[in-house]
Amino acid sequence: MKDIRKAIKERRLYFDGGTGTVLQKKGLKPGELPETWNITQPHKIVTLHKSYFKAGANIVKTNTFGVNRMKFLNYAELIRKGIECAKKAVSEVDDGREKYIAFDIGPTGKLLEPLGDLPFEEAVSIFADNVKVAAECGADLILIETMNDSYETKAAVLAAKENSDLPIFVTNVYDGTGKLMTGADPAAMIAMLEGLGVDALGMNCSLGPDKMLEIIDDFAKYASVPIIVNPNAGLPEVVDGETVFNINAEEFSDYMVQLAEHGACILGGCCGTNPEFIKKTVEKTQNMPYQCPTEKDFTMVSSYTHSVIVDREPILIGERINPTGKPKLKEALRTGDLNYVLNEAVRQADKNVHILDVNVGLPEIDETAMMKKCVSAIQAVTDLPLQIDTTKFDTLEQAMRIYNGKPLVNSVNGTEESMKNVLPIVQKYGGGLIALTIDEKGIPDNAPDRAKIAEKIVSRAAEYGISKKDIIVDPLALTISSNPESAVVTLESIRLIRALGVKTSLGISNISFGLPQRNLVTSTFYANALQSGLNCAIMNPFASEMMNVYYAYRALNCMDTGCVDYINYASAIQGDVKKDVKSEENLHVCIVKGLKEGAVSQTKKLLESISPLDVINEHIVPALNEIGTAFEQKKAYLPQLLMSAETASLSFEEVKKKIPTDQTDKSKAIVLATVKGDIHDIGKNIVKVLMESYGFTVYDLGRDVPPETILKCALENKCKLVGLSALMTTTVPAMAETIKLLNETDRSIVTMVGGAVLNQEYADMIGADFYGADAMDSVRFAEKFYAG
Amino acid sequence: MKHSDVKIITANAEEIEINRNELALRLKTDRNYESEIIEKCRKQFNKVVNYRCAYIRIPVDLSQENICKFDFAEVHSKNLYKNLQGCKEVFVFAVTTGIAVDRLLARLNITSQAEHFITDGLSSAAIESFCDYVSDILKSGLQCASRFSAGYGDFSITFQKPLLERLSASETLGITLNSAYLMTPVKSITAIMGVKA
Repeated sequence: MKDIRKAIKERRLYFDGGTGTVLQKKGLKPGELPETWNITQPHKIVTLHKSYFKAGANIVKTNTFGVNRMKFLNYAELIRKGIECAKKAVSEVDDGREKYIAFDIGPTGKLLEPLGDLPFEEAVSIFADNVKVAAECGADLILIETMNDSYETKAAVLAAKENSDLPIFVTNVYDGTGKLMTGADPAAMIAMLEGLGVDALGMNCSLGPDKMLEIIDDFAKYASVPIIVNPNAGLPEVVDGETVFNINAEEFSDYMVQLAEHGACILGGCCGTNPEFIKKTVEKTQNMPYQCPTEKDFTMVSSYTHSVIVDREPILIGERINPTGKPKLKEALRTGDLNYVLNEAVRQADKNVHILDVNVGLPEIDETAMMKKCVSAIQAVTDLPLQIDTTKFDTLEQAMRIYNGKPLVNSVNGTEESMKNVLPIVQKYGGGLIALTIDEKGIPDNAPDRAKIAEKIVSRAAEYGISKKDIIVDPLALTISSNPESAVVTLESIRLIRALGVKTSLGISNISFGLPQRNLVTSTFYANALQSGLNCAIMNPFASEMMNVYYAYRALNCMDTGCVDYINYASAIQGDVKKDVKSEENLHVCIVKGLKEGAVSQTKKLLESISPLDVINEHIVPALNEIGTAFEQKKAYLPQLLMSAETASLSFEEVKKKIPTDQTDKSKAIVLATVKGDIHDIGKNIVKVLMESYGFTVYDLGRDVPPETILKCALENKCKLVGLSALMTTTVPAMAETIKLLNETDRSIVTMVGGAVLNQEYADMIGADFYGADAMDSVRFAEKFYAG
Repeated sequence: MKHSDVKIITANAEEIEINRNELALRLKTDRNYESEIIEKCRKQFNKVVNYRCAYIRIPVDLSQENICKFDFAEVHSKNLYKNLQGCKEVFVFAVTTGIAVDRLLARLNITSQAEHFITDGLSSAAIESFCDYVSDILKSGLQCASRFSAGYGDFSITFQKPLLERLSASETLGITLNSAYLMTPVKSITAIMGVKA
């Protein structure tokens, strides 16, 4: 029985080279799809495979790169015939060398959501259809290649795992900067792919072997599985109307020797290479000593751009996306206000945390649906790795599945129930795993027993193939206000667990629960914990005391060369102090000039002496009117108007804090939406910012909104003013349709419309009550509407 | 299918001077208007932008009236046919600012509408400027027609698909099309530029 998993650990195997470029020489026309030859000219495909086997290749890629059900109705037949061609080649070259058929999977050519429009599960299903056919037909392994997006790569790997037992090899396309087109570096890809359990990984296409030499060391440093290198024959040049590549077989194979010296295991070629390239490569490298990568000991998690390695450097995990004790976040989760959650994510990222904890557990909401929504949306706005924090196993599985990268999981504990449910999920999807030292008997009151639970979890995880390096133990900090010995026991636990060679984490803030001036206690405890060997802290990055400890600790422990980070941090603090002193400009000026910090501090100052309503009517609104008028008279520009509006909104937020919630004036409200079919929302967003700065409650429904949704929102909130935006001529009919539905249901609803394609005439034609030529125009109308 | 005759041009943020007129047009300001916030946005943008172009130079057959035959498609278009008069070859190219700009815009859409508006304008002006930069490189020593994109006049937007496939744009540039023929990264342009015989 051929076992390529075993073979690649013991000896060097060789891939074949280019397919498309060779077929072009055999008469493939530009624009003709090479995969169709599996049916129309199979003998040429067989000859191609045979020529590579004869050159010394052990693995041929089936001619199925572009086959999938989106592009070919007869995808299954193309796959079957493609594998038949490879099998025929294997049977016809009887030279005693080992031979394997790699079922080739290329990218779909579509970008996955959230940035593109292909849903993740749809991608999994497209790849799954291919894998099912290939597994039936007897391919020896699956090669997922030329992938330039980590998310699509993950979809393909999951499809391969879930629909076959075949070995999985993956190669991605890196550009000259050593990253995928969608941003991932080799370490990030290695973290994710090894987490998913692939058998070999590496790079192909785009670069020649010379450029791959610049990246190979990153693979050698981080990879624990064999590394595949399938370069192009350099760069294409057109000579006398023919495409030639600038690296010939001799030079190519010399580079391949160097790549092998730097740790490349499985060697082959991509565009522009032919059997001669492979032959020379085999000749020059087959007698070189072979070394399969050793198991690396990095505790890594990753996003779609980079990895975070838990080692000597303290790791900060932002704790703010967790509804416990945060009424505003609870409200946001209940109403599905993702913007609030995303804002918290971006603000923490700006504080330089390394990982974001995401916990959306509220009894009254569908936690799994909300977790998936949040993970996907947060990944669209920050590139930090996430820590998926949930007690529900189904939520954990669904979130790990759609996560783009290798997440941190919070958490497993020492109870049978937790281990038997969480460990298989982590085994399947791959992740760093926070392990809590608690079991059926509760949290031990002493350090040795906590360490024992840690050991138990580590050994159970090993049964699932989860390595010790992927486990981070949290020995649990309980508040010292009720457990006086808690801090001492926890610190001792950290030392014991670190001595076992396991990394540690703590939810640091718990230590001071119930005490006054909590940050004092928390930050001192944090310093102690770092000294005891703590690796990760789940913490509040807006607590300056915590950040002080973090930066000072790094400077004191040779982790901050030249104290550069510390000095930058310290001067930023000084800068903030100076800004506060400098912002003596009054609120009116701050708003007109768009000075955000100044506006907030001036608003606070004013609120000490005058009523909230007076701050609005005597300061905020007149300032907004001044900049609004200047804009209308073309003395100020849109960027200025927007800055002022944002500044006024911040000021408003401060004022609102002083008004009891039951007295908040919700009478001035507007529903805003970009109509169905239209995805342009800049204009709508500008109106939104201005409306908010004038104190309106805005129900923002986003873009591409169906008429029914708009009507529903207006009725539910008893809002009589609806603003609609459209940028494309093709979507004006959708606007007309929306107005018709609103009018037919409730004639007292007033509609205002705007957008690049509209004018007064159009607006009249579709029955709108008002046409806003620009954002100020819209605000003036809305003000008039509510003034009666 | 990976097309191997596709060539790449890249540029650093510093090499591309964003055209002032294009920017003013998009921000609806005076040509000489500058402000701290625009400079801040420009810095943020320059940090993440990854200008890339993929191009090929191929023959065009204009022997039938109002039909332009390329190796990847046969385009029925009066406007393109007229544009390519006197040409036997064309450059087919696509340019992009890279996906990181889309992510920056998504983030700013959450944190600041002012910065979002400005950065959107900046990146639109930037991709036009990069397109000019690339055109100048391609044109050097040649006489070329003005560049023409799918979606202009009667040159149907649906040709984005074969055109991008011909450039292997998904692999070479990371450009993909959605079902409405809109490109991601959003700040991307494709064009055909005739080479006068």
